[in-house]
Amino acid sequence: MSPRPATESVTAQGNYAGSVSRFLAYAIDLFASTAVYTLALAAISYVVQIVTGEQVSWNRQNILVVVLYLAWEFFYFGYSWAVSGRTFGMAMLGVRVVRADGAAAEPRRGVVRALVFPLSFLLFGLGFLGILVQRERRALHDLIAGTAVVYSWDARAARLRFLAREGELTRIPPDG
Amino acid sequence: MSAHRRITDPVEAMAQRVAERVVDLVLNVVDLNALIQRIDLNALMAQVDVNALLARVDVSALLEQVDVNAVIARVDTDALLDKVDINAVLTKIDMDVLVEQTDLGAVIARSSGGVASEALDAARSGAVGLDQTIDRWVQRALRRKEPAPVAPRAPLNGEAAPAAPPPNAPPARPSEAPTEAATPPEPSEAPASEATTAPEPSEAPASEATT
Repeated sequence: MSPRPATESVTAQGNYAGSVSRFLAYAIDLFASTAVYTLALAAISYVVQIVTGEQVSWNRQNILVVVLYLAWEFFYFGYSWAVSGRTFGMAMLGVRVVRADGAAAEPRRGVVRALVFPLSFLLFGLGFLGILVQRERRALHDLIAGTAVVYSWDARAARLRFLAREGELTRIPPDG
Repeated sequence: MSAHRRITDPVEAMAQRVAERVVDLVLNVVDLNALIQRIDLNALMAQVDVNALLARVDVSALLEQVDVNAVIARVDTDALLDKVDINAVLTKIDMDVLVEQTDLGAVIARSSGGVASEALDAARSGAVGLDQTIDRWVQRALRRKEPAPVAPRAPLNGEAAPAAPPPNAPPARPSEAPTEAATPPEPSEAPASEATTAPEPSEAPASEATT
């Protein structure tokens, strides 16, 4: 099956990013950040074992592991939003955090967004309902931080690439 | 020469001279301009079968006699191009067809046809399709009639982010976003595929769409 042409996506640029794009971006971020954290812990264990000769094991019951993980997650998301308005996962899905009025989000908004982000979870996930029902698809943490998430990928170029590939596949070579 | 020819030839020559003389005399007497003005040219032309006339013209032979290079050399192309609104012409070009059916598409495909970019394009397009499907469901469930507000245009990859407006400037509202960005999707152009299939609710629970 050929991939879906980006016709709709061309015009989706300039719209608020929807729930699926945002969820997928978050899933990628969660996987990536957790993988990096796990690798970091493994590296620390390896170094400690070499230096002291003692084996260090990390588990989820260890409060230090949990606190460090939360701090790392806050850094991962907060730093990404503050510096570029998007995380690795958001870059993959082509969405970006901007200020509610469309200007680039200031670093402090990125930090605030990362700080209040857990609130949307703590309210039984109701904080995320805004992505579905709110007119500008803003979750609770978006409303508090004064941000919005929009599509930012060059869908027009993607469509031209798609058409070029389709044309390349269907075109009969001159000598054939 | 036969006896018959000896008689007819002088007679024919005389008749020819008489006819020429008569014609001269008539033309001197007749006011041709006045005569032409009395002719209904439209009625005359209506009786002419132009197609039949043109069918008898050997256009190829005609064109062979024309020195096209000499004609072109006399054309002031700069002046001609000055009169052409290139931008207006470009807006009429169907880029989709151009890319799909010409070598330009092959150039694009070869220069940017990596597997990664193809997969990324497909993933993004699929996600946007699902976003729109879910959004349509929600709008229908909430019985909303008016279209969703237009989002501010975010900078594309590699583009500089728009500067924040000065503090005393009126805030830019989503409605001020570029018109092109507000164009609604054209579902008729998008062939149906799995990506547009309505997802199961478990695929994208609202509480998990978290970025």
